[in-house]
Amino acid sequence: MGMDRDRREREHLPLRRVEFHILLSLAAGERHGYGIIQDIEARDETAVPDVGTMYRALARMVEDRLIEAAARRPAADAGDERRNYYRITDAGRRMARAEARRLETLMRAARLGGLLAKATK
Amino acid sequence: MRGDRLLDVSERWFRLLQRLYPADFRDEMGDAVVEAYRDRAREALNRGGIIRLAAVWVRALVDSLRNGPGERARPAASWRRRGNWGRDVELATRRLRRAPGFVLSTVATLGLGLGLAAVVYTVVQRVLIDPMPYRDPDDLYYVWRDYGTIADLKRGMLAGTDVVELQKAGGVIEQVVGLGRQLQTFAIGEGAEPIEIPVMFTSPGLFDLLGVSPAGRAFAADEEGPGGSPVMVLTHELWRRLGSDPDVIGREVRLNNRPYEVIGVLPRGFVFARNESAGPPQQADAFIPFRVRLDEADPRDGSYAGLVRARRGSSPEQVAAAVEAVGRAVDERDFDGRGLKLYPVGLKSDLVSGIRPALLALALGGVFLVLALLVNLASVLLARTAQREQELAVSRALGASGAAILRATLFEGALLGTGGGLAAALGAFWGTRALVALAPLDLARREAVVVDGRIAGVVIAAGALVGLLAALAPATWAARASLSSLLSSSAVRGGGGHGRLRRGMVVAQVAVSLVLLAAGGLVVRSFERLLRVDPGFRPEGVLSFWVRMPPEFFPRIDDVLALQDRIEEELAALPGVTGASATSVLPLCPRPLPAFAAARTYQTPVRFPGAPGNTGDADRDAPLVDRIGARNTYLDVMGIRLLAGRPFDPARRGAGEALIDSALASQFFPTGSPLGAELRIGDRALTIVGVVRPARLYDIHRDGRPQVFVRAEGFRPLAFVLRTDHDPRALIPDVRQAIRRIDPRLVAAEIRPMEELVGHSLRRQHISAVLLSAFALGALLLAAMGLYGVVAGAVMRRRHELALRLAVGADHRALLRLVLREGASLVMAGVLMGAPGIYFAGRLIRGVLLGVTPLDPLTLTSVAVGLGLVTMLACYVPARRVLGIDPAQLLRQE
Repeated sequence: MGMDRDRREREHLPLRRVEFHILLSLAAGERHGYGIIQDIEARDETAVPDVGTMYRALARMVEDRLIEAAARRPAADAGDERRNYYRITDAGRRMARAEARRLETLMRAARLGGLLAKATK
Repeated sequence: MRGDRLLDVSERWFRLLQRLYPADFRDEMGDAVVEAYRDRAREALNRGGIIRLAAVWVRALVDSLRNGPGERARPAASWRRRGNWGRDVELATRRLRRAPGFVLSTVATLGLGLGLAAVVYTVVQRVLIDPMPYRDPDDLYYVWRDYGTIADLKRGMLAGTDVVELQKAGGVIEQVVGLGRQLQTFAIGEGAEPIEIPVMFTSPGLFDLLGVSPAGRAFAADEEGPGGSPVMVLTHELWRRLGSDPDVIGREVRLNNRPYEVIGVLPRGFVFARNESAGPPQQADAFIPFRVRLDEADPRDGSYAGLVRARRGSSPEQVAAAVEAVGRAVDERDFDGRGLKLYPVGLKSDLVSGIRPALLALALGGVFLVLALLVNLASVLLARTAQREQELAVSRALGASGAAILRATLFEGALLGTGGGLAAALGAFWGTRALVALAPLDLARREAVVVDGRIAGVVIAAGALVGLLAALAPATWAARASLSSLLSSSAVRGGGGHGRLRRGMVVAQVAVSLVLLAAGGLVVRSFERLLRVDPGFRPEGVLSFWVRMPPEFFPRIDDVLALQDRIEEELAALPGVTGASATSVLPLCPRPLPAFAAARTYQTPVRFPGAPGNTGDADRDAPLVDRIGARNTYLDVMGIRLLAGRPFDPARRGAGEALIDSALASQFFPTGSPLGAELRIGDRALTIVGVVRPARLYDIHRDGRPQVFVRAEGFRPLAFVLRTDHDPRALIPDVRQAIRRIDPRLVAAEIRPMEELVGHSLRRQHISAVLLSAFALGALLLAAMGLYGVVAGAVMRRRHELALRLAVGADHRALLRLVLREGASLVMAGVLMGAPGIYFAGRLIRGVLLGVTPLDPLTLTSVAVGLGLVTMLACYVPARRVLGIDPAQLLRQE
């Protein structure tokens, strides 16, 4: 059975960059598409995904039930215009955690390999 | 508000760009994308004015150019979005590609099993179901004579006069042809090397009746009879054998040294055989119109087959009524109303009636084999699905619906099934060729047994269907299993609800293989009995062949007698030959060479005037016997046992001596000895000098008509037989040479060892036995595989429990028994389920069983023991793994 889990992780992880960003943003609360883009910009990401890329990823992740559409409601920053909001699902949260762990493992390896400074703690 | 107008223009631009995306994406996400761009545009305008806004426009263009066609180019995404089958195709193929070993073994198993079944299907379809290749074949009938109480012959040939009466009948009888067949000496020209070919003598309308037109022309109505012109139509095969001469039409050839003109050649692939009163239909290489007047033939001399075309749309009952009416007239006129009947049989059912029981038994076996394959595939797929429990759990967690998983699993099954079907069609293509090569020579319509596109299509479709059906169980299981149970059962590693389903399948497999084994066992046992049957002669080391001594070459009977003596002498002098003789009828081959003038009358009534067994009933006291001409040492050379008296006396040529068989002896001389008594054939009185054990002429396993041996002096075509201590085949060149040396016009035809004739007569049973036992062993193997899997799974699943038991004091042997008991209970359940099937299968195959009852205790016992041994072995091998369980280590791992 362990083998099967490995195989699944090989297939689904790593998440695509935009997918991880989306899960990261939604983990903090509901967002609409442009809000997620703004979050990414705020994370000092060098390559911010385009709107089209973002919405294609959103569509796919809704199908995969990693995220789901929340009720339409007014955007905080745009008066009475109503936006599509999304929120993370349990599966999405698990997947994001798995990806985070994977990245963490890589980081640890990078530290041990001397590529990064050792953690101060 | 210039900014608002700019934003409106921007929005129109962004909406335009949306056209680059596929419609379904636009419907779902279009508004949100445009809104996001509006937000971005607004921000740009606020921060940097029109230059920044232009940059957003350009970026949006680049973005849409990249992602729009990108979304269009990923059809998998839209499939998934619509829940389309295409997505499942992709998933299933990908999953199968990852497991080449599984795919290969599954497709190979299916291919082999379905291939075997497909061979049988092909034969059944071609022989029993497909229409005959003639015009309106359902309107064609053969007509036979039933002699009723006159003689023991239910399916006799017609007399020429019967054919003429049928032709005069009219009504629903549209057209009637008589068919005679003889071996004739054919030569392409005068002085050319002669060959013996079978020739069909026929009424001129034969080709019209069948709906075939030869290249050249068919016979004209006035070409029949003694005054007709000598014309001949060749089969395509004979024409090819003669060198495919394109100018053959109009050419003069020789038949029995008489000139004939070739007027036509039949189309390639055209096959026509004359159905016989007993034995397989006989083909011919050439056709000629009757040279005699049928209306002047002897009414008691049945030697023609009658083929009738009924008026279109007339029912078999109407045809039967019309034929029977003719029969009553014939009975009145020629048999004083003693009860001769004529009856029609549809051409195809007449042709295939002999082979039908065997084919039905095989078809039944094929169906059962496919059932076994179906259950096997289902249980393999179920095991595979069960291994994927965790994957399924995650898929369900990711939102895959039950329906999607169902579709994917079904599709996987269908894909495997189609692969198996393809392999089977390919296998059947070769398999049928091999079968036809091995098939009994009398397999009706053997030339039609080929796999074509239609049959291959059916086989492939059947494979796909088997795959789909097999996937049904695991698919519903996987789709129905709730998420929580999937997740929890994967947590306990491979337990789960599929176990019961798989055990049920193993029970079904055992049941199916039990039925097949029983059927196969019965057929094998029946075949084995045939092999041990005593045919009444010793075929080992005997070579036989026919020599015609036609009146065209040897008009005087004295010349023929001298010739026969000379041939026998020369043959006896060949090195290695211990005895040579001749007969008019070979055992197991009553019409090897066909209606010779003499062979035509070899069935004849005899009387024993003054014998104590006479009853006073004229018909019973004149039984129809097979009259066999034999030279002096024939009994000795053929190994036929003389029970009393002596063989023919070589010194008394022409003496009226006869030998009778033990059946006649006990019927007419129940108390005293028949030796010295009188026997009458027609007006001729003969003295009985001996009693023999009959050598079987028809079926190897049962006596035919009573036999009377007479001296061979009056017979022209004789079968010569040689006995040798070595391989009789080695003598063939010497025999050919010897015959040619005696007279270059003579041909040794149909040279065959007697053992080969015996083999031919056993072939049908042989093939049935081989095929059915292959089916049965296949099913048994599948059942064993199923059991192995279940027991191995059980050991794996219960290893913690078993380890615990060990830890608390049970020993390994007790565990082994525990696991074996589980397997044994499945086998028992299967046997109980299959037992009634044995009864029904036995009834269905009764037609092919000879000397074995459908419930033969010995066979059924050995089948039960064999099944028990194999299945328990299949349990024992995986069960032995419990011996390797080390409780301490296993429990520590947890």
